[in-house]
Amino acid sequence: MRTAAPNTLVARGLIILLMIVTLLPFLSMLSAALAPQGTYPNGLQWPADPQWGNFVKAFEVAKMDQLLLSSALIVLGVVPVAVLIATMAGYGLAKLTTNKYKWLYLVFVFGLTLPFEAVITPLYYEVRALGLLNTRFAIILPLIGLYMPFGVYWMRAHFLNVPHDLTEAAQLDGATRWKEFVLVQVPLARPAIMSLTILLFLWTWNQFLLPVVLVQDPMQRTMAGALGAFQGQWGTDIPLLCAGSLLILTPTVVLFLIFQRQFVAALMQGAVKG
Amino acid sequence: MAELTLRSVYKNYGEVPVIKGVDLDIGHGEFVVFVGPSGCGKSTLLRMIAGLEDISGGEIRIGDRIVNDVEPRDRGVAMVFQSYALYPHMTVYDNVGFGLKLANTPKDVRDRKIREAARVLQMEHLLDRRPAQLSGGQRQRVAIGRAIVRQPDVFLFDEPLSNLDAALRGDMRIELARLHHDLGATMIYVTHDQVEAMTLGDKIVVLDGGIVQQVGSPLELYNNPTNLFVAGFIGSPRMNMLPGHVDDLIDDQVRISVDGASLTLPLPFGSVSKGDSITLGIRPHALVVSPDGPLSGTVQLIEQLGNETVVRVRLKASELTVVLPGQGNFVVGSPVSLGFALADIHLFNADKKRVRRPS
Ligand SMILES: Nc1ncnc2c1ncn2[C@@H]1O[C@H](COP(=O)(O)OP(=O)(O)OP(=O)(O)O)[C@@H](O)[C@H]1O
Ligand SMILES: [Mg+2]
Repeated sequence: MRTAAPNTLVARGLIILLMIVTLLPFLSMLSAALAPQGTYPNGLQWPADPQWGNFVKAFEVAKMDQLLLSSALIVLGVVPVAVLIATMAGYGLAKLTTNKYKWLYLVFVFGLTLPFEAVITPLYYEVRALGLLNTRFAIILPLIGLYMPFGVYWMRAHFLNVPHDLTEAAQLDGATRWKEFVLVQVPLARPAIMSLTILLFLWTWNQFLLPVVLVQDPMQRTMAGALGAFQGQWGTDIPLLCAGSLLILTPTVVLFLIFQRQFVAALMQGAVKG
Repeated sequence: MAELTLRSVYKNYGEVPVIKGVDLDIGHGEFVVFVGPSGCGKSTLLRMIAGLEDISGGEIRIGDRIVNDVEPRDRGVAMVFQSYALYPHMTVYDNVGFGLKLANTPKDVRDRKIREAARVLQMEHLLDRRPAQLSGGQRQRVAIGRAIVRQPDVFLFDEPLSNLDAALRGDMRIELARLHHDLGATMIYVTHDQVEAMTLGDKIVVLDGGIVQQVGSPLELYNNPTNLFVAGFIGSPRMNMLPGHVDDLIDDQVRISVDGASLTLPLPFGSVSKGDSITLGIRPHALVVSPDGPLSGTVQLIEQLGNETVVRVRLKASELTVVLPGQGNFVVGSPVSLGFALADIHLFNADKKRVRRPS
């Protein structure tokens, strides 16, 4: 205990330093958001007279209610489908493929190495050819595809860890492949599915580039994407801009706070199993 | 009705043959044990019967059906895995009832069967727990319960007791025997523990290198091992094996010499010829101390087990294990002479096959 104390102190100090570094930009943004309109706050001092009304104004001018709905629709279009397909593909690649088809998985891993920015231009032409430009499908369909490499990799890693005996026991108990998948594998995969769902939600909600490039109307974009338009429109009004940005951040932070337990647990589980 | 028949069954993994032509007949209600050293193909053979492993050649019948291409779930078999393979996310109740649920058994029937199985296995108080909250022995019971509720024609066990400690293994062995008696079902049981094999089996199948070495009742295997492998594998401590050769043939008698001793044995004419090398097998329990016995050597090592004494005796060129009743007082290094009854001798020819005595 005695020898551990100095180490603990150092560790605590480091953690506090990290927290400050992480939180400082947000506090700075908050101070700016509370500054009176028309001023140019430097973000380093707390305003004498905090203008909480800036948040109400930002909510109204950015039509946050509509943006929330739009974001929710996109998330609902992407996440369940992506998670379902990734789970099935992960199971297939982990349990149903023989050595002959190992390379199939490599195709997905290859997808992981593709930088997102590299595919955005061809994606634009493809979406245009499909006639989906300026609809939410221009965001939903590409995102489902773009999430597959990671999703499949994630789920396959989980299914590889499930003992093969369980599959065989289910088979002998009379389960078809489908029943085994639905009644045995999916319930066991819940932590992995849960964390994948949360990750995909965050990535979709924070999706910026794709909506900005593929969808003109800010009301059809994700919240983060709409920030682009908001910035163009109110770029000179720093307090309002900061208030809007903070509002856009809020849902993800709230969600993370609600699910952080599951999130951390899921990540830890993966780490222990190796 | 669930006889099980295997006809020249083969299994290759790629180019590697693992099961090399197994023929076997298992009657309804028999308790058959597969034994053999690690890697001899016991699990593979069992999994082929279950349908978890493809059959490279030959034919497996259950009842009057050829099941080569029948899915595991349609074979009427249930299996208990060495790892138990319980579903971790289900309670014991649901684990046991999973197969019935899949078969769309009505809820009340299902409930009755699950509770009946729980009663038989004395695990009624465990029904609401999950596998993670059970001890090894309790998990084992659940795994067996899951097998018995489905009332299969054939039960398959792959080393079900090997994860348990010695005392629990003994208890479970007795329970399995009782279960077999109560259910009257055909059971196939894989183990590499020959005590389990001897005590549980109506019939033992000794496998080595993917080939059936001998099939028979425990005592048949013990009394009449067909070759050197079976002789060495069945019985504990291992049978002593002394190399020697045939000196002479006189009428129905042969004179052999092993390790400096000369013995005359009755043997049918033509079973061996002069000059053949042979191996003399004699079980540790068959040896007795006798001052004019044919085998003499010195005491090397003494193990007192209380009820009996295990003595290692060094002969001229080889060593013998001797198990003597009681706590006889021996001294390491002292000379000792050993004798035996002629009926207790096993003789094997150069091909490692048993040479039959006239009976
Ligand atoms: N999937 C596989 N691919 C290649 N070879 C295999 C495979 N499964 C088993 N074998 C080989 O087949 C042989 C028999 O294996 P099996 O598992 O049947 O042995 P066993 O008698 O059950 O041994 P143990 O007592 O150790 O369980 C072994 O030599 C093993 O290496
Ligand atoms: Mg095995």
